[in-house]
Amino acid sequence: VDNHILKYIQSYLDEELEQGERLIVEAHVQRCADCRFALAAERELISAIQKARPLYRAPDSLREKVAWLCRSDPRAGSIRSWVPIAACALIALAIFWFVAPGPFRAGTASFVTTAVDTHLRYLNGQLPLEVFSDSPEKISDWFAGKLPFNLKLPDYPQTPERKPYHVEGARLVGFKQDYAAYVVYRLNGHPISLLVTSDKVATASGGEEIPWGGLRFHFQSVAGWKVLTWSDNGLTYALVSDLEERGQASCIVCHQNERVFKGLQTSSKRL
Amino acid sequence: LIGFRKQESDCYHNVILDNLDALYGFAMSLSRNPIDAEDLVQEACLRAIKGLVKRDIQSNPRVWLFTILRNVWINQWRRRTKGPEFIPLGKNRGEGERFEQWLLDERERPDANFERSDLSEKIRAAIAELPEVFREVVVLRYFEGLSYREIGSVLGCPAGTVMSRLSRARVQLHNMLDEKNTPCFLHRERRSG
Repeated sequence: VDNHILKYIQSYLDEELEQGERLIVEAHVQRCADCRFALAAERELISAIQKARPLYRAPDSLREKVAWLCRSDPRAGSIRSWVPIAACALIALAIFWFVAPGPFRAGTASFVTTAVDTHLRYLNGQLPLEVFSDSPEKISDWFAGKLPFNLKLPDYPQTPERKPYHVEGARLVGFKQDYAAYVVYRLNGHPISLLVTSDKVATASGGEEIPWGGLRFHFQSVAGWKVLTWSDNGLTYALVSDLEERGQASCIVCHQNERVFKGLQTSSKRL
Repeated sequence: LIGFRKQESDCYHNVILDNLDALYGFAMSLSRNPIDAEDLVQEACLRAIKGLVKRDIQSNPRVWLFTILRNVWINQWRRRTKGPEFIPLGKNRGEGERFEQWLLDERERPDANFERSDLSEKIRAAIAELPEVFREVVVLRYFEGLSYREIGSVLGCPAGTVMSRLSRARVQLHNMLDEKNTPCFLHRERRSG
């Protein structure tokens, strides 16, 4: 007796199945009246939904406003618009260089800044992910050969309870003339960004130091975002989140065992 | 160099303008209000222009634009709207005018592009009644033709979640159309037969 393919009907009709899977579904429905009927019913519903599509046309007033916005884009302007911007940037850079604290000049803080900036750009939709998967193993595989270091994301076996977090995807991010790994997790609806680079280009320092488990974590709050950085085994990590306190709950993405990040929480309170 | 950059910017701006109708349609499905939809699209376009990055545009401009629009909606606009209304194509509804009366007037409108069958109206009304998480996946998949992966990119969730939401949305649509006594689907005939 064939297994019914009801659960594949939606993916089949939405053209989300591979060619081989499509053939299996098509072969099955030819000999199974129930599945054939279910497929026809679903196809009919989808067709009806598509026919019900309202055909919107953006109002002319909106079109004119957006066209005006495009014309006002400074990047499309003349050289005059570049001169003051370039001058301001040079002045800001000079001021920053003279007044910035030591760690900034050493390049460590720029890793934190890059992590927060990357997190913000992702949230604003300006930084699409290059790989989408909820499997840490697949994401580790995707990074293989693309980075100047080896990165293997921890993948803890499924527990009877549902994991409170999941990985969403990843991409490469430029940092210090090379690539860093950017991974996005979500914990109870909160996005968490993990930025990883070699400790040759960035080391964890600055902010509040929290020793735990043989490592030294550094906590900083940047523009309201909680940033935890640390170095371990040749790599430097930054976790950015909007979670409570020091954002230590974000550590769960690497430490499935709650005891681990509770320990970090206890250590941080002790300090 | 400036000339080349201007040419490049013009090209990106055309991408935004070419997708304006689709953006407006998505904004309508989220806000269900033409005035809010217009403001939402304008804000999203402003952000898109400010954040123009070549690789984003080249990878998938529609996904990029929909993502920005949805983020604007979530961060700024969702709290402002009220009332489960879904306004189809046509004239804007006047202040204080009853929705039912407005809909009735719309049916009389001689507009060849406007699908006016009872079934389509019922389906549009049913989609409007769906919870937002279901409504957006239905609109992006069946109205805008995005793949699960592209929708996942817009919504910031895995493709599996998109599939699950679509599945649940369709079950709800089936049930709602059943309640509205829509005698057009095979599954109803089979059940009654």
